[in-house]
Amino acid sequence: MGGGELMNSLFLSVLHLINLLLLPLLLMGIIRKAKAVMQNRIGAPLLQPFYDMAKFLHKTETISENAGWIFIWTPRVGLAVAVIAAILVPWTGVLLPPGWAPATNFLLMLYLLTLGKFFTMLAALDTGSAFGGLGASREATISMLAEPALIIALGALALGAGSTDLMAIYSSPASPFIALLAGAGMVITALAELSRMPVDDPTTHLELTMVHEAMILEYSGRSLAMIEYATALRTCIFFGLAVQTLLQAWPVFHALPLLLHYAASLLGLVVLGISVAVAEGILVKLKWRSVPNFLTFAVVLSLLAAVIAAVQS
Amino acid sequence: MSLFPWFLGDAGFTFAVDPLSCWFLAIIGVAGLPALIFAPGYLQHLRHRVSLSLVWVALILLMISMAGVVMAANAILFLVAWEVMALSSFALVTADHERRDSRRAAIIYLGATRAGTAFLMIGFLWAHHLTGSWVFSEWGISGTGALAPALLIFAGLATKAGCWPFHLWLPIAHPAAPAPVSALMSGVMIKTAIYVMIRLFVLDNHFVVPLLGPILLVLGAISAFWGVLFALLQHDLKRLLAYHSVENIGIILMGLGVSLLGRQHHLPLLEQLGLAAALFHTLNHAIFKSLLFLGAGAVDACTHLRDIEKLGGLVHRMPWTTGAFVTGSAAICALPPLNGFASEWLLYQGFFKLAMDGPSVGLRFGALLLMGWLALIGALAIACFVKAVGVVFLGNPRSRRAERATEAGRGMVVAQVLPAVMCIALGVAAPAVLGQLGRITSRLGDPSLLYHAWTIPLTLIALLLACTVGGLAMWVAALSRSLPARRFITWECGFGDLGPRTQYTATGFAQPISRIFGAVYSYTVDINVKGRNRRYFPDKVTAETAHEAYLETKVYTPLLQSIKRMAGIFLMRLQAGSIHQYLIYMALMLGLLFWVGVS
Repeated sequence: MGGGELMNSLFLSVLHLINLLLLPLLLMGIIRKAKAVMQNRIGAPLLQPFYDMAKFLHKTETISENAGWIFIWTPRVGLAVAVIAAILVPWTGVLLPPGWAPATNFLLMLYLLTLGKFFTMLAALDTGSAFGGLGASREATISMLAEPALIIALGALALGAGSTDLMAIYSSPASPFIALLAGAGMVITALAELSRMPVDDPTTHLELTMVHEAMILEYSGRSLAMIEYATALRTCIFFGLAVQTLLQAWPVFHALPLLLHYAASLLGLVVLGISVAVAEGILVKLKWRSVPNFLTFAVVLSLLAAVIAAVQS
Repeated sequence: MSLFPWFLGDAGFTFAVDPLSCWFLAIIGVAGLPALIFAPGYLQHLRHRVSLSLVWVALILLMISMAGVVMAANAILFLVAWEVMALSSFALVTADHERRDSRRAAIIYLGATRAGTAFLMIGFLWAHHLTGSWVFSEWGISGTGALAPALLIFAGLATKAGCWPFHLWLPIAHPAAPAPVSALMSGVMIKTAIYVMIRLFVLDNHFVVPLLGPILLVLGAISAFWGVLFALLQHDLKRLLAYHSVENIGIILMGLGVSLLGRQHHLPLLEQLGLAAALFHTLNHAIFKSLLFLGAGAVDACTHLRDIEKLGGLVHRMPWTTGAFVTGSAAICALPPLNGFASEWLLYQGFFKLAMDGPSVGLRFGALLLMGWLALIGALAIACFVKAVGVVFLGNPRSRRAERATEAGRGMVVAQVLPAVMCIALGVAAPAVLGQLGRITSRLGDPSLLYHAWTIPLTLIALLLACTVGGLAMWVAALSRSLPARRFITWECGFGDLGPRTQYTATGFAQPISRIFGAVYSYTVDINVKGRNRRYFPDKVTAETAHEAYLETKVYTPLLQSIKRMAGIFLMRLQAGSIHQYLIYMALMLGLLFWVGVS
C-alpha cells in the first residue's frame, strides 16, 4: 500500500466516523431547529440531541414488570442493525472500497433494517400496553404500503446500473427521469418509514395519535438512548438514499471528486432535512384513513420510474 | 434403479433416485425428524380421544408413501404411492373424529384429494396415450398436444399443493390434524406436488409447454398474496399457519415460473436461479413451517387453546417454545440472516435478472412489479407474525388457561429447538446449500452459474450482527453495574391496574390492513348489545367479525351446490340400491373389458 493510498483510506475512515457519530444527531438537531424557526420559536440548541443522549445515559432505566427478553434485547438489535446498515449503505456517496460492493446489496440492507423493525413491533406488544399494540399495528400497515414502493424504485434504478448493489447503483450514471421519479417516491416512503409528518406526528401530546412514539413509549434511560440513536441513523440512511437518488439526476454527480461529492451529498441531506421541517410546519397530519392514499403517490412514482427503466433497458 | 422386478401391468415396480429425489428425500427426513420426536409427548394429551396406534401406523405409512412418491420411476407406481399418501393423511386428519369440525375437515380433504387425483389420472392416461409409456423418463411431449395433458396434471398437482384457486381445502384440513401431522402435511406432503412439477415440467423436457411459465408465475403471485392476506385475518393459530403454506407454495411456484421463462427465452442463469430459489425455499419452508406447527402444537398441548385471542404472556411460562417460535417467525418473514431470506433473495435476484434481460418491455416491467409484489407479501407476513407472536406469547395472559401454562416436555422442546437451529444454520451457510443445489440445476446447464449469482456475504453480516449486538450488550451490562435498571408496572396513564382486556387483540391488530384489502372479501362486524337498558347500561356487549372470500361465496359454493343437485337427479337413478341393477352394471363392465382386450 502506497503512502497516497494510506492517506486516502485514512481520510475515508474519518469521513465514515463523522457519518456515524456526528451527522445523525446533528441532522436531527437541524430538523428540530428549522421546525422551531418555522413556528416562530427560538427552539432548542442545534446540539440538543447530543445533550439528550448524555441525559438518557445518566438516567435510571425503568423496565416494565411484564416485559420479557424481547423487550430488553430489542434496542440492542435495533441499534446494531442500524449501525451495520449505516456503515454499508452509501448515504453520503460511495466511501467503501470496491470489494465491499456485494455487502451493500439493497435487498439485504432493507431486510436487515426490517429485522430491527420486526423486533421493535414485538417489543411494543411485550409490555401489554394498549399503546404498544396500537403503534405496532399501524407501523405494520405503513411498512406494508411503503416497502413495495421503495423496492420498486430501487429496482428501477438498479436496472440502469445492472446490479442490485447500492455501491454499483450510486457509482454509475442514471437516467435523469428515473432518478427524479424514483427519488421523489423514495422521499415519500422515507417520510412514512421514519414516522414523520404527514404520516405520523412525533410531537403531539397524545400517544394515541402516534405510531413510532407509541411503540417505544415504555423505553427509558439507555435503552431509549439506543433507540433514539438508531432512529437518527435510520433517518440519515433513508433521507440520504433519497438525496443520492435525486442527485443522480445531475449528470456529472457520480463523477465528481470525492470531497466535492461528499459536500454535495451533505448539502443535499441538510436541504432535505430543512424541507421536511418546513413541510412539517405547514402541513397537518393526515387522517389515519388517508395515509394509504398518500403512500399510493409513492407507489405510482416508483411504478413510473419502473416503466421508464423497463423501456430503456 | 429397479429394486423389485415385480410386474404391475405395463409398468414395473421400479424406483429412480437422482439428485432431485435425494433433495426431496432430505426434506422428508429433515422435517420428519422433529415431527416424530415431537409426537410422543404431544399425543399424550390426546390419548383419551384418539387411537394412538392408528395415528402411529398412519404416520409411518405417510412417511413411507411420501418417500415412495419422490422415488417412483413410473406413473402407475407413483399413483399408488400418491394414493397411500392421501389416504394415510386422511386417516390422520380424521384421527380426532369426535370433534365435529375434524369430521367436516376430513370429508373436505377427502373430496379435494379425490378431485386432484382424478385430474392427475386423466393427465397421466393422456400422456401415456401420447407416448405409449408409463415411465416418466420416457415421456417427451411438446407442441400444442402437450398443453391439455400438462394442464390436467398441473391442476391435479396444484390441488395437492394448495395453489390458488385450488387451496380451499388446505386451511381447513391441515389444522384439524394433530400438530406433528399438520407439520408433516404442511411442511412436506404438499411439497411432493412441487417435486412432480419440477420433475415433469422444469427439470427435463418431459412436457414442453411455453404457456406454463406465465401460468405458474401468475398463480404463484396470487397464491402468495392470498395466503398471507387470509392468514392475517385468522385467529386460530394453526389455521393461520396453514394459510401461510398457501403463501409459501405461491413463492415456490413463482420461482418455478421464473425458471420456465428463463428456459423459454434462453437465459440459462435465470433458469437456474428460479429453480434454485424454488428448491431452496421448499427446504426452508419445510423446516420453519414444521417448526411453527410444532410450536402451535406445544401451545395447544400446554394450554388446550388454539384461539389466539385467549392466549398471551407465554414468553414467561414457555421460554423455549417462545424462542423457537420467534426464530421460525423471523425465518418465514425472510429476515436476514435466516434461511428464508436466502431463498427469497435468490427469487428477488431471479426477478431482477428477468427485468434486465427479459426480451419484451412488458416482461421487464412485470418482473420489476413482481419485486414490489414480493416486498408487499414480505411486509404482510411480518404483520401477520408480529400479530401471532405478539398475541400468543407476549403481553398479559388473556385467560386462566394461558396463565397456568407451563413449558412443554423435554422431547417437545428438543423437537422445536432442532429446526430453529437449522433455520439459522441454513441461512448462514447458504453457499454450502447452493453447492448441493448445483448438483440438481447442473442438469439444466453450466453448474458454476449459481455461485456467481450468490453475491451477498450473509455469513459476514450474521457475524457482524452477532458481534455488534454482543458488544452493545456488554456495554449496557457495564453501565448497569453503576446504574441498575428498576422494574415497575407498565404505564397505565394513571388509571389503575391494566387488565388483559386493555391489550390489543389479534383482530384489532389486523384491522387496518384487512380494511385496505376489503375488495377481496366481505368483512362484516356484528355488534350485539344486551341488557334491559341497552343504551346507557348494557349488561353485555359482544362484537363478532366475519370475513368471507368472494371466491368461496360466489364461485365455489354455487358450484358445489349445482354438483349436489346434479347428483341428486342423475346419480340417484344410477345407484338406486337395487341388486339387479348392480348385476347388470357388472355384466356390462365385463363385456366392455372383454371387448377392449380382444380389439
